[in-house]
Amino acid sequence: MRTNLHLVLFDCALSILLVSSLMGADFDWRLTPGFPKPVVPADNPMSDAKVELGRYLFYDTRMSVNGKASCGTCHRQELAFTDGRARSIGTTGEQHPRRSMSLINVAYAPYLTWANGTLTSLEGQALVPMMGTKPVELGLLGHEKEFLEVVAEDPTYRRLFPEAFHGQRNPYTLANVTRAIAAFERTIISMRSPYDRYRWYGEMNALSDSAKRGEIIFFSGERGRCFRCHGGWNFGPVRFAGTVPSGRDELISGIFFNTGATVYVEPNRGLFEHTGREADIGKFRVPSLRNIAVISPYMHDGSIPNLDAVIDHYIAGGKLAHPNKSEIIRPLTLTEQDKQDLIAFLNSLTDREALTDPRWSNPWPAVRAQR
Amino acid sequence: MRRCLMLAVLGATLSAISVAQEVVPSVEVTGAVKQPLTLTAESLAKFPRATVKTTNQGIETTYEGVWLTEILRRAGVPQGEQLRGRALASYVLAQAQDGYQVVFSLAELDPSFAGGGVLLVDTANGKPLFGEQGRFRLVAPQDKPGARSVRMLTKLEVVSLRK
Repeated sequence: MRTNLHLVLFDCALSILLVSSLMGADFDWRLTPGFPKPVVPADNPMSDAKVELGRYLFYDTRMSVNGKASCGTCHRQELAFTDGRARSIGTTGEQHPRRSMSLINVAYAPYLTWANGTLTSLEGQALVPMMGTKPVELGLLGHEKEFLEVVAEDPTYRRLFPEAFHGQRNPYTLANVTRAIAAFERTIISMRSPYDRYRWYGEMNALSDSAKRGEIIFFSGERGRCFRCHGGWNFGPVRFAGTVPSGRDELISGIFFNTGATVYVEPNRGLFEHTGREADIGKFRVPSLRNIAVISPYMHDGSIPNLDAVIDHYIAGGKLAHPNKSEIIRPLTLTEQDKQDLIAFLNSLTDREALTDPRWSNPWPAVRAQR
Repeated sequence: MRRCLMLAVLGATLSAISVAQEVVPSVEVTGAVKQPLTLTAESLAKFPRATVKTTNQGIETTYEGVWLTEILRRAGVPQGEQLRGRALASYVLAQAQDGYQVVFSLAELDPSFAGGGVLLVDTANGKPLFGEQGRFRLVAPQDKPGARSVRMLTKLEVVSLRK
């Protein structure tokens, strides 16, 4: 009797564990202790199987209309998941008006893409490059059925889809494709740069003296003032699990800024493109500065070639006048040494481990080598 | 041999001067005070200590230091029942190393008035502050934005506005 009771209790415990696992509550994010977990939609809980499937989909060029491009084409790991171009080029050769954004720590981004104050889920964002026509990125629109047929017949996917979407009669759906890609993207988390080691791990020698001086300038309200937009542990606005939602307008006002970097004409009018408000012309999202040294050229349109020129832009108080230019952007008094110190600090935000971590690399070459 | 000896003596002297000139980080308490203070980590360690927990972008930090009211009391600034009349037109100007300045009125610092305490902090999570935080900072837990939680704090000046 006692043994039976033990078995029942054991079964119950196992069931709770399985349910908990299926719901993604015990997913191991491998975060630095003390850092918050990302937000995960209730209908797309995290699991190792789903993340692994997402990695294969992310790098699958069959997702594009001509088989030439995947998500990984514009989001290359070694470039912090950007593409090094001033403006990205779609699979059919069409040029995007903006540059690709880094996916590192994208799970913490309150809004996605450069200038959309409504796009908050990675599942929804994945559809933009897949289905978009202005411009064409992957060009999948109208070809979804063929792609899903390819997926359903691929031996790798025939193993991964059922594991990721256990119990579904037909797991090979577009919704599941976006869920898996989003789950994979949520795991691309970087918290191991030299600056992190200095600030959070107590490795006082992880930064040069120049970078330490640069940190002080960056966070000074009187000198660099960089932290006014790029503050906090992610060097930009974040949302995370347990965040109390602010009013949408309040949130947007702290995330999208006009910096006077360029003339804001079609097709780069910023947040205005979605709100239609004159006051939103030229407002673009504040990106995280993590790994910024490997993400050149800079700004939404890649119009500033290097960090030296970016700092000159801000020293000038934004090179171009615009009625919507943020009041935060005012001329700075910085010496040449200050600039070099700031650049040394920005260089310390590069997490080399994240740029080479095999968990986020392209799995297809190994698969093809085995076939 | 004699030259070597002279060089050694000169080197030792320069080294001693360098140690003597090493600046100990401090916060000056000045202005309309009866007793100006120079606060260092060593002197603050002897004051009554308090802790405050803050959460910034999901990261919790435990700061430890001394309430400003305690520091002002030791500087002879009116507190509690004495904080009346002319003293109510006084404020504390907190200044950072980079020139950044913010103001707290004496009344808003005093527990018998608003009671929104401000902590002068020298450790975070049990470790001395460093880098962009400076060796000392303020933490104003009642404030919604962090703009008055001055980092790199170097000076607290009490100013009387009453003409």
